[in-house]
Amino acid sequence: MATQKVEKTKVDRIRSLAKAPMDDYYVSGHRTCAGCGPAINYRMVAKAAGKDTIFVGPTGCMYVANTSYLCVPWAVPWIHAQITNAGGIGSGISAAYEARIRKGKYKGKFPNVIVMAGDGGSSDIGLQALSGAMYRNHDLLFISYDNEAYANTGIQVSPTTPYGARTTFTPPGPVVPEGKKLWPKDLAKLIVGGHPSVAYVATASIGYPIDLMNKVRKALNVEGAAFMHIHAPCPKGWGFPADKAIEIARLAVQTGMWTMWEYENDEYKINIQPKKLKPVSQYLEAQDRFSHLTAEHKAKIQNFVNHKLAMLGIKVPVEAVTA
Amino acid sequence: MGTKKFLTGLGATATAVKMADVDVITSFPIRPYTGVMMILSQMVANGELDAEFIHADGEHAQLSISHGASAAGARTFTGSSGVGVTYAFETYSPISGGRCPVQMLIADRTLDPPGDFGSEHTDALGCRDQGWIMGWAETPQEVFDNTLIYYRVGEDPRVRLPQFNCHDGYFVSHIPGDVEIPEQSQVDEFLPPYRPVDPLDPQNPLGHGPQIFPDQGPALEAMRHNAMMAAMPVIEEAIDDFGRIFGRKYAPFVEEFMTDDAELVFFINGAHAHTARYAIKHLRERGIKVGLVKIRFIRPWPTDVLQESLSRFKAVGVVETNSSFGIARGGGILAPEVCGSLYDVPQRPLIASFMGGLGGEPITLKEFDFIAEKLKKIAESGKIEKPVYWLGFEE
Ligand SMILES: Cc1ncc(C[n+]2csc(CCOP(=O)(O)OP(=O)(O)O)c2C)c(N)n1
Ligand code: SF4
Ligand SMILES: [Mg+2]
Repeated sequence: MATQKVEKTKVDRIRSLAKAPMDDYYVSGHRTCAGCGPAINYRMVAKAAGKDTIFVGPTGCMYVANTSYLCVPWAVPWIHAQITNAGGIGSGISAAYEARIRKGKYKGKFPNVIVMAGDGGSSDIGLQALSGAMYRNHDLLFISYDNEAYANTGIQVSPTTPYGARTTFTPPGPVVPEGKKLWPKDLAKLIVGGHPSVAYVATASIGYPIDLMNKVRKALNVEGAAFMHIHAPCPKGWGFPADKAIEIARLAVQTGMWTMWEYENDEYKINIQPKKLKPVSQYLEAQDRFSHLTAEHKAKIQNFVNHKLAMLGIKVPVEAVTA
Repeated sequence: MGTKKFLTGLGATATAVKMADVDVITSFPIRPYTGVMMILSQMVANGELDAEFIHADGEHAQLSISHGASAAGARTFTGSSGVGVTYAFETYSPISGGRCPVQMLIADRTLDPPGDFGSEHTDALGCRDQGWIMGWAETPQEVFDNTLIYYRVGEDPRVRLPQFNCHDGYFVSHIPGDVEIPEQSQVDEFLPPYRPVDPLDPQNPLGHGPQIFPDQGPALEAMRHNAMMAAMPVIEEAIDDFGRIFGRKYAPFVEEFMTDDAELVFFINGAHAHTARYAIKHLRERGIKVGLVKIRFIRPWPTDVLQESLSRFKAVGVVETNSSFGIARGGGILAPEVCGSLYDVPQRPLIASFMGGLGGEPITLKEFDFIAEKLKKIAESGKIEKPVYWLGFEE
């Protein structure tokens, strides 16, 4: 929609963790669980984006656990959105800056507008607002931080919850031994598949901070809408020790449960591709939410992962399961 | 000075929106309000209006985008009708709580089921408790004027509240009337550019809408309440200024017609006041001392003004073009508010409601005759025989 827009500052690549900016814009003052993946993600995204940023935060853990007691942990502007409408609020902020700068009503530069929505607030109840923002190609970055559940309400199943996960709405029992019976929605593919204006879509993981921060910068440098789907393990919801979020995140990539790619110029690019994949059982067995699964269920998940990787053109052998 | 045009309510709204130099407009089609967006999109395409014209993915999105844009300092305009108004319900309280002066046109439409294009006020009135300023216009001229007045009141730093700028679908939205279009310089004098208080801006980082704990709730709700009450004197000021600049003088809250010696009055909001005026002239010829009290703002509800006005009459007939199934007294939404307003007044009129115009039916002269007759009986006997009449179903 841009006609004559004030130039946005382009941000450079971060070469190593040591060379990442020292300044943080997601700071202390929140009360997320110890080892919270979405909080780690927030810090990296804010660091990469820098001070000329406005965050939009729909209801979810990254609202409720971040802003208790009328105080906020951001050193940049932030606005609450409903769980339903983060894409709309973000669209409006971006449109306001288009109009105000063009009409000479605002003298500063065009800010980074970043929507930070949970998987529920982006793949389910917030999907329409996300799709609308992408379709209209507002200048913003929509991030879905994926903790694979409606975490804030007490870990209920969402469309990105993996098959076989126990949540408080998919408890396993004799009649439903696997817990969640459905296969997860692939949100990033959904954005790529149906939103031709979107110039940049990427997946990322808190297990790979440099990759994550550089993808954020790339997404912000793009004119118009960009989307990122970021894997952010949740110790409370998934049942693993608080100091293991990064390890679990890396294991997800090493087993193929999470894939790391970018989509630009009509092409997928796989960014992080292990030489040999570990069996998914290693990932599943590290988390309590899968503790009820039988060998048969795990084999089903392995097949699903193999198929997903083949679709992406990843052809690496899976290590033999060592019992 | 200015020009005269023959415009529909929607044409009048679009003209006022353009003269208000709105920055962000969010659209979604639903009859009857749609026309305003057709006109505005053409103005943008022609380069007559410099605004972001956004095709929202539904009414919930229209309001959400307007919310974000307003929080980021833009003057915004949106609108809807009927089920479109109710579809966006979740967003209304966050917008008023965020103190974002979004303006929304509501050209009323009956809610489903079944599908019906006609005007009924339940769509808007169902949202009356969401912290939005709300009122009805009777003619395209009043629509034009209200559009400017609402922006001015809603954006006033003492108020900072969104506004439902309502008028009846078809009766006002689609029937043209004479509209005085002022000079741009007059509009600029009346309505200064929007100066947002604490917009989302990296030069002044602030958090909008953090979570609270229950003990912090009362203070925030009291602030929103105080803002709504503060709108009363601001409305009076704006109406005064409006009269001075444009030469049209409105009663801020309650407009009276032929009430000087009246014993009975029709209490009404919106388009049907037009028919009521004709009905009153005819009834007066037959010696019935009836007048009209038209309420211009439903929120804030002008309790004091109504106490002073309505306590002068013997019987008040509240014309209800809305429904609220099972409400106190079993009629519409307005009568309980009228009754509540008068409870503390020692000299109270007798009050009955008349359910009329539902589904978008016109309220006919005959029906106003019926109301007057009932009111006369009530005044003579000193008591109401029943609190609610359904026009067309009564003996
Ligand atoms: C309209 C609406 N429905 C339900 C809720 C309740 N609710 C609050 S937080 C939340 C979970 C959000 O899940 P997600 O978006 O995945 O974020 P997470 O909490 O996992 O970080 C829900 C369902 C709500 N706030 N609004
Ligand atoms: S429940 Fe999960 S996502 Fe929510 S604060 Fe705790 S660790 Fe973070
Ligand atoms: Mg979640």
